[in-house]
Amino acid sequence: MVWQKKDKFTYETFLAKHKVILVFFIFLFVCLSLRLFYLQIINGNKYKNISYQQRTHNTKECAKRGAIYSADNQLLAESEYSYVVVYYPHHGNPKPSVQILSELSTVLKKEVKPSCSVFSKYGRKVIVLEKNLTLDDIFKIQEKKSKLKGVSVIREPKRIYHFSKETSHVVGYISQIQVNEMESLSELGYKLGDYVGRGGIEQYYDKYLQGEDGGWQSEVNSRGDKIGITNYIPPEAGNTVYSTIDLKLQQVAYNALKNSETGKGAVVVLDVKTGAVKALVSCPGFNSNKILNRKIGKYIKDNKLPLFNRALQALYPPGSIFKFVAFAAAIDFLNTDPYESMECKGKFELGDRVYVCYHKIAHGTTNLISAMAGSCNVYFYKLSLKLGIKNLEGYTKKFLFGRKTDIDLPNEKQGFVPNPEWKKLKFKIPWLQGDTLIFTIGQGAVNVTPLQMAYITAAIANKGVVHKPYVVDKIYDLKGNEIYRYKELPNKNEIKLSSKTWELLHKSLLEVVEKGTGKRCKIQGIKISGKTGTAQNPPKEDHAWFISYAPSDNPEIAIAVIVEHGGGGGLNAVPIARKIYETYFGISSNVQGKQ
Amino acid sequence: MIQEKSFLKRLASGIDMWLIMAVFILLLISFCAVYSAGFAYNLSSRYIFVQSIASSIGLVFLLFLASFNYQYYKHFRKTVYVLSLILLMAVLVFGSFKRGTKGWFDFGFISFQPVEIAKIMFILVLAAFLDAKAKFSKNLSFLIQVFAILMDHLVLIMMQPDFSSTLSYFPITLVLLFVVGVNPFYLFCMVIFGSFSVGIPLLDTFINLQQKFIQDGTFLLKLATFLKNDKNIICIILSVLIFIMSVWRLLCKLKIEIPILYPIILCLSITFGALASIPVEKSLKDYQRKRLIVFLNPNIDPRGAGYNIIQSKIAIGSGGVFGKGLKKGTQTQLGFLPEQHTDFIFSVVGEEGGWVMSQVTLILYFIFIWRALIIAKVSRDRYGSLVAIGIATMFTFYVVINIGMVMGMMPVTGMPLPLLSYGGSSLLSCLCAIGILCSISLRKHIYY
Repeated sequence: MVWQKKDKFTYETFLAKHKVILVFFIFLFVCLSLRLFYLQIINGNKYKNISYQQRTHNTKECAKRGAIYSADNQLLAESEYSYVVVYYPHHGNPKPSVQILSELSTVLKKEVKPSCSVFSKYGRKVIVLEKNLTLDDIFKIQEKKSKLKGVSVIREPKRIYHFSKETSHVVGYISQIQVNEMESLSELGYKLGDYVGRGGIEQYYDKYLQGEDGGWQSEVNSRGDKIGITNYIPPEAGNTVYSTIDLKLQQVAYNALKNSETGKGAVVVLDVKTGAVKALVSCPGFNSNKILNRKIGKYIKDNKLPLFNRALQALYPPGSIFKFVAFAAAIDFLNTDPYESMECKGKFELGDRVYVCYHKIAHGTTNLISAMAGSCNVYFYKLSLKLGIKNLEGYTKKFLFGRKTDIDLPNEKQGFVPNPEWKKLKFKIPWLQGDTLIFTIGQGAVNVTPLQMAYITAAIANKGVVHKPYVVDKIYDLKGNEIYRYKELPNKNEIKLSSKTWELLHKSLLEVVEKGTGKRCKIQGIKISGKTGTAQNPPKEDHAWFISYAPSDNPEIAIAVIVEHGGGGGLNAVPIARKIYETYFGISSNVQGKQ
Repeated sequence: MIQEKSFLKRLASGIDMWLIMAVFILLLISFCAVYSAGFAYNLSSRYIFVQSIASSIGLVFLLFLASFNYQYYKHFRKTVYVLSLILLMAVLVFGSFKRGTKGWFDFGFISFQPVEIAKIMFILVLAAFLDAKAKFSKNLSFLIQVFAILMDHLVLIMMQPDFSSTLSYFPITLVLLFVVGVNPFYLFCMVIFGSFSVGIPLLDTFINLQQKFIQDGTFLLKLATFLKNDKNIICIILSVLIFIMSVWRLLCKLKIEIPILYPIILCLSITFGALASIPVEKSLKDYQRKRLIVFLNPNIDPRGAGYNIIQSKIAIGSGGVFGKGLKKGTQTQLGFLPEQHTDFIFSVVGEEGGWVMSQVTLILYFIFIWRALIIAKVSRDRYGSLVAIGIATMFTFYVVINIGMVMGMMPVTGMPLPLLSYGGSSLLSCLCAIGILCSISLRKHIYY
């Protein structure tokens, strides 16, 4: 007898419970299946990534940054590989153990400490243990590889700047991307820990100079041992940049500035025909090699502001060099007779205020040209009242003041040209005639950068034809193919003045050097035109300005010199320009300017 | 006695083909998974060797037990019981230590864990006892006798100590008592008792771990510090007791008659559960408690107790739909998976076989258990049904706990996955259990 038939009631209750158990078991298995589905189908890719990440170990090999050459084929900046011992933190060992450090110390024969410079590569952090290894050290470390788990030697390019002080501002420097910059830079494909150019060519042409980083991708097991290399991508070095900087001129200009009255200032030398920047100096410079070693703090604290690129970023009142604007306006607009004489008593009274000539010297009988050459303020005061602020402002704008030159260097300042509306808005006071007076002689709110001045001087030398300044001429890739060459855009800016105006302006500017305030720049055999300026900068010392171009008949280069707080322009700025001309035209002269 | 030839004939015709097929496919999967798991450590050949020896011995046992009439176990239940006790005692005397547990007979090249066999003997004995005393299932003395049988085994196993092996005894006992007709309420009270006695220390450990994980004075932290205070726990338990009594009063007023005995027993089981948590807390080591609870949030201890679960989840998840292929699982081959050939073998299947293979494995297990329950249904006598249900419960428990563990749903208890995990004794005992199932299934029509 089977029990199913023997005891029907018991069997039926058994069946009911059997069913409960079966349903319960089915429920359990459905739960397991759902979980399986969730893990493998819904979250499959997430876990695939995690498993990929925890078994791959990326060793980055940084690419060499491209070299920068001057126009005369001098190496300004290059990269060399240096070897660095790093520790890759892996599972369970976020820091190198004491054994590893002591082992490494005996191998390298000096104490090794994990430096604080932790940088990340592909999202993995790396601890730098020792820098600048010799080849010997590398072999020793490779021999002890089994004892040094997680320790690798990687190549890291090191940036070397030649002529660093002289070219620091135009070439720039590089430093690592900081965390707070990541937001803006990560979109451009930069990663934390990458080196990027700061300032100068390094920054503006960073895209060309940066190479493509390569590296090894290796598989590691759970203990962090490398199993095998799965992928190697060789790094691709950056492109070579050829700048228009003439190293000789750059050096001469830098040294002249350094030895000048205050050792602060800027020089910009432009090629009049093309706009190429032959020299762009801001003094004092800094040692771009040392900046990489985190000695930037010293420079930041220096009150001479060595990191400040005065040529592009400093705004100075132009002072007397600004007079050519009123000069051109007078001839072009008022059709003034340049030889009409006027008496200068050294001072000019307007209302209850007295405006004086420089150092209160009375120029006596002056005409427009001699007023320009002798830098007579009183003549220009009178002229300005004739012209009025509207015309003066119009001509200032015509001469491209208050506008960026769009040079291929970062952080250029714009300069400023004031006008009555601006003054009313800013100070709630109407524009006075006195404002017009000081505006004519380049004082007051008007300010310019040294680069702008050089740019405008070059335009004047060209009779109004404007060339955009540029510092990078061409870029070659590693195979020697040209991938970039500077091409001037069809010119939009042109200073349109009557030919008579140009003629007289050139004549007067030549007069400045021949007979006037710029006599110290007179060089035998070469005609130089220019204008000195002494920009008042109360309460501090005056700025010494000198803008010039040469040769006067067929201009080749234009120079703007400013010595910050350097006093009189004729005294301090002019000799610097003279040295540059001497170098450029190959004339050696020991005579330091004739009286 | 029956002749050999006619037995084989009957075996061929009467055997449950679903069951046998499921078992054989699972064994095949096991060989592949164990081979792959051992590959990284160059232990494949050793694993395969041990596994094939264990399965061939196991298949011999299976055939033997299938031909052996299971009803003899019922008649000689006392002998079987005494034998199981002797086995467990012998291992305490002659056994050797392995992973901190004195639970192994070491035969040189192969070692054997008697607990695995003792479990099956326990099912046979318990089923026999319940079958014989089913009439008295409403009596309290019946329950006490059942628990006496259970406790003998548990005490001997805890002396090894082998915590995880004891766990499987509870569901088997509870399910068999339920089938035999014990009031489900009592069983519910037992579950309550058990969950309170184990749950309180585990929750305490979890809160301790979680506290380090929570940063600031959030709500969770306040709750945790509130629960940390012992007085508060007593207050909570007291309020739960009062709540139960008041619900009972309310139900009485609503004319739903429930004897007063029920709420009192419930309250008593809660109280005793809470009291029992103190010795349980002391008997469990700190790492064990961490391991048991960390599955709720493995990230609170990612390098310690949570490591296994995290890696196993990554392994299974990264398998995707079709898996990474045999011997190509990176988690398995690069040593990220812990215990990959034993407890975490399912992760290997999940990683290298993907969702397809793991789902097939789950379905095979389900077919196996479903067939065991079918055998319970068609068995000739109640004893056979009880034994089959006991075995089905044991397998379900193992499968759910193990696969749940590797998928991060269940505590890490260190239970092997039946039929799949590497390990001779586990495989042998599983095949023995299947042999008994076959024996029941073969004799559903004939009594001899």
